[in-house]
Parts: sequence; structure tokens; C-alpha cells
Amino acid sequence: MTTTELPIFNRADGPDKVTGTGRYAADISLTGMLAAKFKYAGIAHGKIVKIDTSAASAMPGVFAVLTADDVPDVRYSAVIADRRLFAKDVVRFEGEVVAAVAALTPELAQAAVDSIEVTYEELPAVNDIESALAEGSPLVHDQFDTYGVTDDTRMAANDAYVSTLSFGDAEAALKSADIVVSGRFVADASHAVPIEPRAVVAQWEGNKVTVWTSTQVPFDARNGICETLEMPANRVRVIVPHLGGGFGGKCGFHFEAHIAALAKAARRPVKLVFSRMEEFLAPDRRREGMVIDITTGLNSDGTIVARKAWIALDNGAYCSDSAFFPQMAAMHVLGPYKVPNTHVESHLVYTNHQPSGSVRAPTAPQGCWAVETHTDELANAVDMDPVEFRKLNCVGTGDAGAMGQVYEEIALQECIERAAAAAGYGQDLPENEAIGLAVGWWPSFPGASGSYIKLDGDGSGQIITGAQECGTGAVMTLPYLAAEQLGMQPEDFELVYQDTSAAPYDTGATGSQTLLNNGRAVQEAAIMIAGQLKDLAAEHLEASAGDIVLADGAASVAGSPDRNVTIAALAEIAGGGELLIGHGSGAPPDYPDNAVGATCLGDQGVAAWVGPQFMCHAARVRVDRDTGVARVLNVAAAHDNGTIINMTGATGQIEGGILMGIGQALTEGTQYSDSGKQLNAALLEYKLQTSADAPEISIEFVQINTPGAGPNGAKGLAEAPNVPTAAAVSCAIAKVIGEPVRQLPMTAERVWKTA
Amino acid sequence: MSENTELENLELKVNGVSYPLALEIDRNLSGVLRTEVGLTGTKEGCDDCECGACMVLLDGQPINSCSYLAVQAQGRDITTVEGLIDGDELHPLQRNILAAGGVQCGFCTPGMLMSAQALLERNDSPTEDEIRIGLSGNLCRCTGYAKIVTAVQATAVELRS
Repeated sequence: MTTTELPIFNRADGPDKVTGTGRYAADISLTGMLAAKFKYAGIAHGKIVKIDTSAASAMPGVFAVLTADDVPDVRYSAVIADRRLFAKDVVRFEGEVVAAVAALTPELAQAAVDSIEVTYEELPAVNDIESALAEGSPLVHDQFDTYGVTDDTRMAANDAYVSTLSFGDAEAALKSADIVVSGRFVADASHAVPIEPRAVVAQWEGNKVTVWTSTQVPFDARNGICETLEMPANRVRVIVPHLGGGFGGKCGFHFEAHIAALAKAARRPVKLVFSRMEEFLAPDRRREGMVIDITTGLNSDGTIVARKAWIALDNGAYCSDSAFFPQMAAMHVLGPYKVPNTHVESHLVYTNHQPSGSVRAPTAPQGCWAVETHTDELANAVDMDPVEFRKLNCVGTGDAGAMGQVYEEIALQECIERAAAAAGYGQDLPENEAIGLAVGWWPSFPGASGSYIKLDGDGSGQIITGAQECGTGAVMTLPYLAAEQLGMQPEDFELVYQDTSAAPYDTGATGSQTLLNNGRAVQEAAIMIAGQLKDLAAEHLEASAGDIVLADGAASVAGSPDRNVTIAALAEIAGGGELLIGHGSGAPPDYPDNAVGATCLGDQGVAAWVGPQFMCHAARVRVDRDTGVARVLNVAAAHDNGTIINMTGATGQIEGGILMGIGQALTEGTQYSDSGKQLNAALLEYKLQTSADAPEISIEFVQINTPGAGPNGAKGLAEAPNVPTAAAVSCAIAKVIGEPVRQLPMTAERVWKTA
Repeated sequence: MSENTELENLELKVNGVSYPLALEIDRNLSGVLRTEVGLTGTKEGCDDCECGACMVLLDGQPINSCSYLAVQAQGRDITTVEGLIDGDELHPLQRNILAAGGVQCGFCTPGMLMSAQALLERNDSPTEDEIRIGLSGNLCRCTGYAKIVTAVQATAVELRS
């Protein structure tokens, strides 16, 4: 761990959560509340011939039955507007909502759903990324050309979006390289699996609706309701009670508008609570399956001279926020390496699967797994130790990365050294054990964000923030930033958060950006109040405001600590006159100029990064050759995530991210039937890591001052630890069995077959 | 509405308080605790005995209340997470899991605390492996478990002294 002494953080939401008194969305009950259930497609691809809801509508106790005909005909999505609230004409994945019912009880609502008859003309399911791109493949969207995508970002029939990254001349450099190594890697789709299945409650009063929902992005959810139900933002209030985890699975706009529309039609509050199976099948969010072909050219001294790659990502049936995935995947297949000549072509491909969307570091664990497994093969090809090979080829301070961005101040090289040392890399190990080491990277995402702060007459403070707490503790860290500016204690502040009508905009718990952006907003609001306090104190102490110092709960005159007044006393004075109210937003840091000399098709703004984060994980793994079972014994993580403000929260993110990474490495993968339906949409068949599976984890933070970082030099943190773990496990397995496993997850069966 | 609409009169004793109830006999315990009894600390994460978020104690034994009929709990002492606190004083497990940083989203926390409580009731000095096995029926997606294990270890030490 770090040597820096940091304050102990008490989670403001901690007592709620350990006593069972904290309310989550499913815990909310309202007078007259009805239960909602959805009618799902149940088939991967089909033309809707007829929907008969007459029996459902006639059932006593059923208050509303909705289909596409009952809501505005709006197509939506972040970049490619390709979907509607309810399927119209065609269903494109098994979990697509065709109809919704509100009834007195969940059982009655389910009975009504079961009575809805939908007649389909079944269409062939597009069930595989590569055949989807082949000429003559059935089309998932046969009217794509009406969706308003203006860029030339389609090469093949089922392409949703294509990005390329090119730098230098990869073709020529590969021809003249001393050694060329190629490999193919295939990753299955996987899931976020927050332990809380999502829930939504909607209630109308007059022409305004309040929606309580388990979302990571309350403002996105609000905007989705506004867009699809054609309402102004000031009549839609989205409140998130405590959120039971998200990991990206609860980013985006999902079912809030369905429930708002049901509540309006039923003239009663309506509540939806998902089952675990629905949580697996229906949301627009799972981690995308990928196929990665990668070719790298080396000089005989081990220097990388060129890389070519071809990537296809399984987008599923609709684009949620996935349009940036091809470019992001390309960045991860290039990795944090000095590669002077590159060409990557990356396809986001429609299939008749559940839609993909941002799950914790989207595209990164799979891309990192492929490129890092490939990197060990490169090292072997020139007879170099993989750690030495990475030290030679990875970027350091002042180096240019694969897309030409020069990194001003980074600590990747030190991370490699520290992770290797902490893992005991190079030690003699039993024959069936090895240590694999992998590097990864991830951007910080600057964006708009706002906060208010008020100090009440009793001297207690409230931070009213647009930020969203999904468990990471990022919001819980905000009182520290306010207290620091005001000479107060974090405990002096309570938080009002995740309520779109109470606070200004924030992007939400997405992109690891809460501390980066909302931290800046809170600091700015606190600085405003500090100015107000200093003016008041100056008057009270007959001094100049410029000489007032705020510390230890009091304002005093610099150099004359005896001339002081408590902040509580100032707050009391202000409470009877001009109130202490601050607000902040602050300009986000600028994106660096897009990579010098890069030519990109389908640029989604992720070819150059603000405040890039770097990390190295070393995993010691034991493989049972007879069964193929791999067990991770320990993981050493070294991270450059800038300054750490909340060490307990930060190590918690790393530990959780590593365990999720081990799940992705070994057990978490979605299997599809020939007809495009999920075969393992349950926790017995889709196995998460348990406390008994978890390895020992050691963590080091290399804290440096990165230009463009957020408050006090902090960068994002929640996604970073999820990037290189599966890759490190893969490198270790390959060392033990002598051959990389080229499919993710590396299940016992796949390891056994490879060995 | 349930197939069987006949109601059974019964009394459930939850955290020392008796609740006279009239229930359909096929109702599961977690649902009854969360609605009729009115204690929503017990969470439902899978309805299939796979996640442990609904863990409560029945005469001190941990059970997944999602897959247990409410009528079967008659005459037994049911303890939910709401029963851990003593007045305003947090149970050492509650205090220690916060101090260790073992709470993030908090959705697994109630079930995790009940499993930990049951473990410490039957073994006052568990090894780390025994703790990890004792909690392996409770899935946590946030923490990686390390800080939860630390909290249980600290509680065992505290309760022994």
C-alpha cells in the first residue's frame, strides 16, 4: 500500500446500509401501487404479425396494457436511433419488450402477460458476428439507411458502426519486420450482474411524473423519458434510492419510460421489479463478445515496429451507447505500447442477441486479454522475458503512444516493476504454477457536472449534487473535498444526491468520472462559500477578507490566531441575513489534440485521452492439467490512477475489479443456442466468484501528478482494475500449459482442450 | 394472484416481535418479511438460493428466505438484519464491516451480516478459510470480499475478549 497518511473515510450511507433501513428502489411502496410485468419476444428474430391483448385487458384487476401503439412513435438511442420502447413490426432479440401490463398484484400482472397472444413470422437469427458480416447474411435492421447515420461507417451489411485507427504505414513496416506473429482471440459476451435486480416505480401528480429507479445515470434516465414520452425535462423527476451496484449494467435509459407510461395509463403508481433471469435477458447492457485478429511485427531486438488488427464486436440487436466501442476496442488492442505503424479496423456488428452496452471498462478486458496474451507470444518469439519485453516496448513519460499522443507524466514503467516485485516474479514455482503479468490502460472522461452547497444557520452543511453513488464511494468522498476548502470536517456535511429535480446535471456513475468531474464542481461550490465566510469574518473581526484563514472550524486573521470566530457563529449570522449558498460546475479539462497524424474513420473521440490511467497486474495461477481447472492464488496490482483521496474506497475498487476480472477470465461467459437464445441466464450456470474463490490481493498506487487530472490530482479508478486481470491470468495459464487459451472465458474445458 | 387463495392464520416472530398474519400458504418468507412484516432490510437478488441477499436466521441457522415458505417459520425465532442493532448501538459486525470498508453498494450486506453472525455463533474463532467458506453462499459483486473477511475476523477477536 501507499505510505501516504489519509483520513479514515466514514461512508455517509454506511449506517443505512448495515442496519437494513436504507431504501432501494424495490423497497418503495406507494398507496394504490400496481405491479408491472413485461411480455418479451421470447424469440431472437421475427416479424410481428399480430398482437392480441384483448384477454389481458378484460381481466379483472388489470389496469393498463400497453404496446407500441399506445406510446409516441419515437426511435431513440445515443448515436444510432435504432430502437423503440416497445417492439414495432419486428422483434430483434429474445428479451425485447413487446407489451407491458399493470395489475393489482405481480401474479395477476404475469397472468395477464401470459394471456397476450403474439403471432410471429419467425426470421433467421443472426447468431454469430462473423457470419453477420458475410455477404447475403440476413439483416438485423433492413431499414438502417433511414436511421440517420451520416458518417461513412458501414462496410458490411450488419455493421452498425466501423472505426479505423491508422498511423504510419503498417503494411510496409510488417513487410520489412524481422519477425511477424499473428493470433486470433475470441471472447464470449458476459454480464455486469449487480446483486440488486433493477426496479422502477412511477407516480404521476397532474402533468408531472416522479420515477424512482435503480439507474447509474439519473439524468440519462430522465432525458430518455422526456424523449420517448415527449415531455419537458422540468416535469420529469428521477430519484435513485440507494443503488445496489451497477458495473455499467444500470447505465443508460432502460425501463423508466415503460413504467411511467403504464402509471399514466393506469392512473395509479406502478412498480416493476426484475427477476434475476430478466436481469440477464432484457437490459440494453451486457459486455460485448469480440473476435480479434492481431498481427505484430518486431525487430530482432524485440522492438515492436508495426501492428495490424481486425476486430468484430457483437453489438446485439440495438445500439445503446455502443458506437464508441469499435474505436475504444482498437485502442485496447494497440495497448499502452510504442507502436510506430498501426492499422486497426474495428466493426460493431448487429446480431439478434441482447444489446451490448458499457459494462465496466467496455471492450478493455477482452482487448487487453487478447493483446497481452499475444505480447507474451511476441516475447517468446524473440526469446525475451515478458517483463523485459514490456519494459522495452511500453510507453513511459515523454513517449508517444500508438496513436501519436505524447504522455507528459505517467507511471506505467514503475507499475510494471512494482507488480512484478510484489508478485515475486522470477521465483521458482511448482511445475503447475506460473505468474503472468499484463499491462492495461483506460482514459479519464471529462464532462459537465454540477453541485450546490449550503451552510445552514446551525453551521451544518449540505452538498446537493447531481452525482450518483453506485457503491464505489465516489459520492461519499465529496464531503472531504468540501471540508478541505472550508476548514471544516467531512462529518459536518450531509449529502443530497441522485435526484434530478434537486441538483444540477451530472453524467452519472459512468466512466469512473464522479470524482473527476463532480469533485471539481463541489470544490468550486465550496470555494464560493469560503469567499462568503471570509467576507463575513472580515467584517466581524475588522480585518481584510484576504487575510482570513479558514481552519479547524473557525475563521481567523492570518498571523493573529486569537482574532477568530467559529464558522458556526458566522453561519448563524448569515442565517438571519444573506444566506451561505454556493454553486459550482467548473470547466472540464480540455481533451488533448487528437492524435497527431492519425487517420480515423468513425472517430468517437477516444483516440487521445485526458488523464490516462495505467495499470499492471501480476497473477499467480495454478492449473490442474488433468481437469483444466485454473485457480488464481494471488494477484499483485500496481496502479497509476493519480492521487488517491479515499484509500479505503480505492483499494475496495481494485479488489472488486480484480475479482470481477477473475470471473471474466475463468467462468463468466454467455452461451447461445442455435436460435440465438441465452443458455445460462441464471447464477448457477453463470458463475460469479465467491469469497472462497477469491485470491490474496496486494495493491500499490504509484501516485504522480498527471496533467489534466481532477481534484487534487485524482484520476478515475472504478474501471481501471477490471482491465488487465483476465489478461494476467491468461499469460499465467499459457506459461503452465505451454499454449495460450484463445477463447474467453478460459473455462476448465477450454484449458483442458488447449493443454 | 396466488392459485391458492385460502388464507392461513399464523404468527411469525421476527426480531422478538410477534406478527399475527393471514397469508396464502405458498408465500415465501422473504416476501412476507418485506411486505406484511414491513422490514425491507432482507433483500431479494435471485429468488433461487443462489445469491444469499435474502439470508435470515431461523433459530440461529442461516436460511435463504426467498426459498422458504413463511408458514414453515411459524413458532421459530426469525432474525433479520434489523434485529442486529441493540438500541442505537451497532452490532460489532455492523460497526466493523463499515470500519473495514466492506460495504459498497450495500445490497449484499444484510445477507452477508446474517451469514457472518451465524458463523460466529457456531465458531467463535474461525480461521480465514472458515470465514471464506462460511460466507461463500453470499455473492458480493463490489468488494472482492477481502474487507468483509477482515471485518468478520476483527469481530471474532472483539467478541472473544
